[in-house]
Amino acid sequence: MSHTITKRDIKALAKLKRHKHHHLVHKIHKKHRISYKTLFYMKEYGPKSHVATVIIKESIKILILASVISSAGGFQMKNIESTLIQFLPLLILLPALNDMIGDFGTVASSKFTTLLFLGKVKKSWWGTPEVREIIKTMLAVAAISAVYIGALAYVIAVGKGFAFSTVMLAKTVMLSLLATATLTGIVLIISIVCGIWVYKRKEDPNNFLIPITTSLADVCSMFVLAYLAMLLF
Amino acid sequence: MDSFYTDQTQVIAMFTKSFNEVMASEFISLTGGVLAGFLLSFATDKLYLIPGLFILFPGFMEMRGNISGSMSARITSGLYVGAMKSRKQRRHIIDGNAGAAIGLGVALSVMLGVLAYVVSHFFFGVDSFAIIPVAIIAALLANVIEIPMTIAATLWLFKKGHDPNNIMGPYVTTVGDIVSVLALLIAIWVVV
Repeated sequence: MSHTITKRDIKALAKLKRHKHHHLVHKIHKKHRISYKTLFYMKEYGPKSHVATVIIKESIKILILASVISSAGGFQMKNIESTLIQFLPLLILLPALNDMIGDFGTVASSKFTTLLFLGKVKKSWWGTPEVREIIKTMLAVAAISAVYIGALAYVIAVGKGFAFSTVMLAKTVMLSLLATATLTGIVLIISIVCGIWVYKRKEDPNNFLIPITTSLADVCSMFVLAYLAMLLF
Repeated sequence: MDSFYTDQTQVIAMFTKSFNEVMASEFISLTGGVLAGFLLSFATDKLYLIPGLFILFPGFMEMRGNISGSMSARITSGLYVGAMKSRKQRRHIIDGNAGAAIGLGVALSVMLGVLAYVVSHFFFGVDSFAIIPVAIIAALLANVIEIPMTIAATLWLFKKGHDPNNIMGPYVTTVGDIVSVLALLIAIWVVV
């Protein structure tokens, strides 16, 4: 029994709730050789959808949550204020470290989401070469960046009158490396696990992953930095 | 055996390209982060004029990065799946994204401003209603500068054969940090 796709069918498809499946999606995929990923993207942001409304509806809750979590991070920053002020390189390191972990959250999340849309993530994500490549790249960049900001923070602090000591320089770089390694690991795990979970729920992970990874990275970086500062200094 | 080496070479080439793109943009981003802090250090006297600003600050910076980062990632996904091939489709998706980013930016700034006001009132006993208009004005200013820059950069990078996912994350946070600090300082200057 054949079924020709009419304009009425297309209209019915466009009106369909996003979380429901329709047999036409499969038919369009077969007949016109359009990938499921493209159909999914067009279902979200196609000509019949109001893009801004879809984005706002999907993003608003997670963005509110992310902003509140980050504000909590700011509150935590006030608690380690005295340690930060006493040890100048740590104070200089803090915004750069925070920024860097946020960057890793954005890069890892957007790269992983693109892989999901392109259908390249296998059932076991660990066995997917592209996912392993993302992990390797992020860890390599993290290691170099951590040494760079650790050393730069110390040099700037010395320039502002902080006494130079090789041991302290090594400790600053060590703190930067340990904090970056821990936080990059957290960011990667959140990006991958949450990305798969959101994608399976037929939502666009771009709208969830970046806010959640960056805000959690913000809060975690405050805690990890505070713990390592107490441990090393 | 040949195919094994070909696969290995392709993976190494892919890793190297990705590494170079992320590393280069991260280097610029970290330097930009220092620049944002440097800008802020010049205006410490002005920051004390609005109590509660330090509570607003991390959330505001985070929000800017989140909105622009997600917008860039959505546009990139659209470019990759071929949903933005025609001018009409591209316009539809980009206009929708820009509209959503402006709406979200303003709505969240109001929320963050109110949150900062409430926290400073209940935890520090300071009443500073000025924090709310500061947050709104700063969000509007940041939107006007940051959204067109983010969209243009994403499209340009894709057109030039780069993966915007590798570059836009750090780009957005760097530009976001600098623009947010500037916008907040201008907003304080306007309000106070």
